[in-house]
Amino acid sequence: MKSLPPNPWPWREGSVVVILLLSLGWLGLAAPSFFKPAALWPWLTSVAPVLLIATGMFFVIVGRQIDISVGSQFAWCSVLAGEAASAGWPWPGILASALLAGLALGALNGLLVAGFKLPSIVVTLATMVTLRESLRAWREGEFVRDLPDSFQWFGLGQSLGQCWVIAAALLLWMILWIASVRLSVFRWVYAVGSNAEAARLAGLRPARITFGLFAFMGLLTGLAATLNAVRFTDVDPKTGAGLELQAIAAVVVGGVSISGGRGRLWGVLAGVLLLACLPSALVFLKWPPHWEKAIQGLIILTAVAAEGVHRARSRGRED
Amino acid sequence: MRMLCAGVFLLWICGCSRESATSKKTAPSDGGSASGSMTLAMMPKSKGNAYFISCRKGAEEAAQELGVKLLWDGPTEPDPAKQNEVVETWITRGVDALAVAVENRGGLSTALRKAKARGIPIVTWDSDADPDSRLFLVNQATPQGIGQTLMDEAARILGSQGEFAIITASLTAANMNEWRREIEAHRQARYPGIKMAALRPCDDLKDKAFAEATAILNAHPQVKLLMAICSPAVPGASEAVKQSGRQDVKVVGLGLPNDNKRYVKEGITPAVILWNTADLGYLSVYAAIAAAKGSLKAGATRFQAGRLGELEVRGDQILLGKPFVFTRENIDQFDF
Amino acid sequence: MRTPLSGETGRHELVLMAFLAAELLLFSFTGRRFATAENGFEILRVSVEFGLLALVMTPVILTGGIDLSAGSLLGLCAIVLGKLWRDAGLDPGWASALALAAGAAGGLLNGVLIARLKLPPLIVTLGSFSLFRGLAEAITQGVDNFTGFPDSFLLLGQGYILGAIPAQVPIFLAVAAGLWLLVHRTPFGRSLRALGYSPEGARFAGLPVGRNLILVYVLSGAGAGLAAIIYVAHLGQAKADAGTGYELLAITAVVLGGASIFGGKGSVHGTLLGLAALAVLKNGIALSDRPSEWVGMATGALLLAVLSGEAMLKKMSARVPRSPTRDSTSMPSGSP
Repeated sequence: MKSLPPNPWPWREGSVVVILLLSLGWLGLAAPSFFKPAALWPWLTSVAPVLLIATGMFFVIVGRQIDISVGSQFAWCSVLAGEAASAGWPWPGILASALLAGLALGALNGLLVAGFKLPSIVVTLATMVTLRESLRAWREGEFVRDLPDSFQWFGLGQSLGQCWVIAAALLLWMILWIASVRLSVFRWVYAVGSNAEAARLAGLRPARITFGLFAFMGLLTGLAATLNAVRFTDVDPKTGAGLELQAIAAVVVGGVSISGGRGRLWGVLAGVLLLACLPSALVFLKWPPHWEKAIQGLIILTAVAAEGVHRARSRGRED
Repeated sequence: MRMLCAGVFLLWICGCSRESATSKKTAPSDGGSASGSMTLAMMPKSKGNAYFISCRKGAEEAAQELGVKLLWDGPTEPDPAKQNEVVETWITRGVDALAVAVENRGGLSTALRKAKARGIPIVTWDSDADPDSRLFLVNQATPQGIGQTLMDEAARILGSQGEFAIITASLTAANMNEWRREIEAHRQARYPGIKMAALRPCDDLKDKAFAEATAILNAHPQVKLLMAICSPAVPGASEAVKQSGRQDVKVVGLGLPNDNKRYVKEGITPAVILWNTADLGYLSVYAAIAAAKGSLKAGATRFQAGRLGELEVRGDQILLGKPFVFTRENIDQFDF
Repeated sequence: MRTPLSGETGRHELVLMAFLAAELLLFSFTGRRFATAENGFEILRVSVEFGLLALVMTPVILTGGIDLSAGSLLGLCAIVLGKLWRDAGLDPGWASALALAAGAAGGLLNGVLIARLKLPPLIVTLGSFSLFRGLAEAITQGVDNFTGFPDSFLLLGQGYILGAIPAQVPIFLAVAAGLWLLVHRTPFGRSLRALGYSPEGARFAGLPVGRNLILVYVLSGAGAGLAAIIYVAHLGQAKADAGTGYELLAITAVVLGGASIFGGKGSVHGTLLGLAALAVLKNGIALSDRPSEWVGMATGALLLAVLSGEAMLKKMSARVPRSPTRDSTSMPSGSP
């Protein structure tokens, strides 16, 4: 068997894509300047890191866990990358420090969840608060400044740098998408997420897979933090605020079941894009900014409710 | 289990009786060691802001000069109730003076009045509480002064006609709303030809300010000036202008010189408005301690504050001075 | 009634009480005026708002659910209160009653989506977390701040009974007592535990699963409404950002108190202990002149320490084969 047995009809993911296309179409009519290259490129560049985080979150959620500490991990990785850069390290060193930091933080989560068998929401709540407050205690809000010129855009200049950031995220997402359908290790994630006990009896090691999920999430966070940091010339330690909400919302809107075991990565791409165009759309449509949270909440609830209604109607679907 | 409950309760009672036996007075006791050094509790609006770090440096300097113990703490979360909690804890702890940068005037004034009733002298700095809840306000610049300076600089860049956009931290931030009102009032009075095209919050995040600025530049191409009134937004907006390649758009704002040196020198940000934040912290400490010692009384018109020399006292406001405009010519002289 | 897991509950509470006792002991030495009756009441006062949220969160978590929208609902109810009082001219009593109703309505929305559509509580309340806060911001347009409430209303949050007891404490204690009775002494309360332990089993046993689930969320919403009323009375103002972050505090308290996030295990007295541990931690650190960031770090560490400690104890005692309990890495079908 080459790939997972497909969903009978990707109703859920398909609907998100349709809504996304409709929204973009409407935006194109109501506020065409959204699609001007000068607006589109920076927007896509800002979405790239979120896509990576959402991808990592996808695997975590499919594995029936959750990670609400990604925002704080993101901030730490960004600051450490910035510090490495300002200490004069070359690019491989900077990248390594961000990736290793993310990996370490993710592994910590994984150890607590898989090793101690603690619930992931509580563990990541604790790590989120601890990481955030400790970073605040260290930086007190101060930017990491005076980074060398080679930091921004990897030293490649703006247009090439933007291409690279977007391409890197997209490429990685595509690779992971194909891998998630083809590689057995990802099939195991679906298995563990569906029914960990059955997976264990079938010979898998749920604890190791769960650990791997969090470590992988951390790794992707480190990468995303780097891709985000190179867009600027200094690092704001408050970066990443609200990132976990964005990622989880994108994954859920994209059709991934929070009860684990189901979901497709291309739904996540649609979810990310749909939620990411909201803040900018408000500016272009000239709507007042205080509607942003309400609309975001409505999108999430509608997406989830629609799934619920669909599931309630179709018979024999167990979750 | 019940034994443990009882045990914990007994511990508490013993502790209570021990403490109340030794400190029964309601007035604040000695703040520090037996040598009688005073304790000043100072609170910024929020701790995670580089603006307040620079204020703290001045405050620490003054505390050292005066030989007082400085307690610096404040909310790390945006919830308005957090400032109250900190003040209430300090009342319990007993401090010799309070210096507070008020985030929520209505809410915090109640707690300050309670402190006042306990005999703790209170000074507000950076933003005010209700006047009856504190002795003095250490004012770096009035909201009018700030709003007018911002609008004047904007007009200097735009001319008599044009459109600008404001990027603020959050729509609920009280002081920024006050500044916005002053900006609007001044605009209406002096520069009716200039219009505000958009107002966007950035949640005090530089990255978000960048995104909002980029969106504004593209959604409102006629906007030629971005006015960023919270300190992370100024470099965020400037970077957005730089990356957009638009030479016709400029940025002004309230920010720290160090964050903006690069953009000021490149001409993207012709003016950054602020005041010497370290001096603000320094003055606040001096004023609070002087009020506590009684050397600064109501009705004074002049106040001697250490290395700052003699400053004007207008009513119950001690004025640091007018807002300062950092430009390409002078920004290198400052390091905060 | 004894549940099959009551042995573990007792042990967890012992561990927590040990921590609490250690905290009390530590802070009575390092904290100034920590172990006084006055401070004890202050701790109670500032804990009432998120304490109420934690109390009503307990039955929700017992059913294996979660309510991330509690803090946002508090903000929305506060705004409703303010708006009805100021703009609709209602007197604070009626405005409060309607704010309470608004909270219940918000809870009803959560409950219906979770119970009728069988949606995961985590996601539903994540969506309503944004929605409620967004509605609060939309109603106030982000900026509005309702202040100037009459003194009779403010007494609720700022007044003292018998000169020492903060006015909101009796309300909190009454809610705590009522909730304890509801959860531990009524069939409804027992059904919640059964629901959390095995929803399918509960359904087959004939329990009105859907109805009880909805009721639990309505209760949580009403709790948020009550907390909002006290919050507004305490601070004297109502703003859209009220209650930010409170739901996480509430969840921390409930989990610290020994509740399993998967449902089926937990107690109101456990939550009260967890609340006590958190509140004492916050207060003690502040009175020991340590910065507020330590509170967050200590809270995270405390949570992990208590949970890991319990997990290790469980592993050690699990050498003896017992009747199968649930493996905590696999969730029963239908839970979040």
